[in-house]
Amino acid sequence: MEFSQAALDYLDALYGYALTLTHDQGEAEDLVQDTYLRAVRAFGQLVPNSNLKSWLFVIMRNAWLNQLRHRQSGPHFIDLDGEENQAAGWTDHRMPDPHILYLRKLERAEIAAAVDSLPRLYREIIVLRDFEGFSYQEIATMLGCPAGTVMSRLGRARAKLRRMLKAWQPARAAKAV
Amino acid sequence: MIDCKEIHDRIALYLDEELEGSERAGFEAHVQSCGACHARLKSEREFLGVVRSAKPLHTASPELRGRMEELLGKYLKLPVATPSLRRQVEYSLRLGKGSLPAFANFRTLIAASAFVAILVFLGFWLVTRESTYKDREGLIAGPSEFALMAADTHLRHVRGQLPLEIDSHAPQEISSWFKDKLPFSVKLPNYQESSGQEKLYQLEGARLVGYKNDYAAYVAYQMRDHPISLVITSNAVATPSGGQEIAAKGLVFHYDSINGFKVITWADRGLTYALVSNLEERGQQSCVVCHHGTNDREFIESLRPRS
Repeated sequence: MEFSQAALDYLDALYGYALTLTHDQGEAEDLVQDTYLRAVRAFGQLVPNSNLKSWLFVIMRNAWLNQLRHRQSGPHFIDLDGEENQAAGWTDHRMPDPHILYLRKLERAEIAAAVDSLPRLYREIIVLRDFEGFSYQEIATMLGCPAGTVMSRLGRARAKLRRMLKAWQPARAAKAV
Repeated sequence: MIDCKEIHDRIALYLDEELEGSERAGFEAHVQSCGACHARLKSEREFLGVVRSAKPLHTASPELRGRMEELLGKYLKLPVATPSLRRQVEYSLRLGKGSLPAFANFRTLIAASAFVAILVFLGFWLVTRESTYKDREGLIAGPSEFALMAADTHLRHVRGQLPLEIDSHAPQEISSWFKDKLPFSVKLPNYQESSGQEKLYQLEGARLVGYKNDYAAYVAYQMRDHPISLVITSNAVATPSGGQEIAAKGLVFHYDSINGFKVITWADRGLTYALVSNLEERGQQSCVVCHHGTNDREFIESLRPRS
């Protein structure tokens, strides 16, 4: 497939990731444009048969980090790896899980809103794994961290998302009643 | 035997397709025989299914999509080789397999370096003597605007009407001079010095030239008293077209004869190049003799038309 068409196939995914990083529609659109510009300029460096999607995501993340550096504020990463060391907050799964029953009724927009309200590092890793389907190793390469960190961060992000969705249950349940 | 704690730790790995072989088989065997772990796996799978069903969280607006289509189309309007050209390239690659020139691995923006270009030019001259006859028969498209500009720029430089802004024999110095003056990066290779070969050409200097409301890079060389001009611009500003198309080294070159000058244009990695010269036959032949038996010679020969 032609490069430009293949690259365009990932536009929605890149835009979603840009929003994940910037949390601002205008900045996200600028970041997408910057990513494609960098991609066409670096097109010759793309190794044949390599993963185009992963390559574009890496370009986007690097472009975003560059933008942050140019603003001289530096990326405000919050170290979440030391946070939430408790277990993933399981309920008693031997019983029927009312939480899952409830989750099934959730609107897509509500889940999207919950993901969007996660801390950036958690949001990012959920997007990369659960929405874009990158492997742990691919994510580790993108983020520049060990695969073990990806695994642990993903576990904490999912646990937090699960708790957030569960926290909305009373309001939904009240409506249902 | 894997215990339940280990299984719990591996549920995410399993659902994320990160378990393989015996680990995966052991996990599945345990889950099938353990009700608690089976329930836990089922719950987590459903949770992830619900989360993942929210995809896509966001979609690009039609306006953004339109802009990106335009951007990609503008920058990646690459020439498409005809089937005959593809066969020629394949033939050339077969000939050159395992013995490509040392500069074949260059990954700079000037990947088709001036040295390569000059060699290609010589090959072209040999190849395109036939094209003169085709030109007369009207079978070849006319030169592109960029090729015409390059030929005119070369002529003005030869006449002394276009002085260089930097005089230097050092590729690095000229590359640095272009930095921040152009919307793209110019990185001139230093093949001759690094290869230790006799210098076949001499870098003279460079300047900026205006083209389509922007600057293009102009680099001047001398090859045994024959001036050679290399003009570089962005692929967004000019795309090579017209003339006789010849494929070599994975690129498509366009050859034109303009006012007695031989002009080759090509695009590579986002940039468009034009190489202009009036090299005479004797000089070309002597260069070919210098490279007889070398990989470069093989490369030039690979450009010859096959009857």
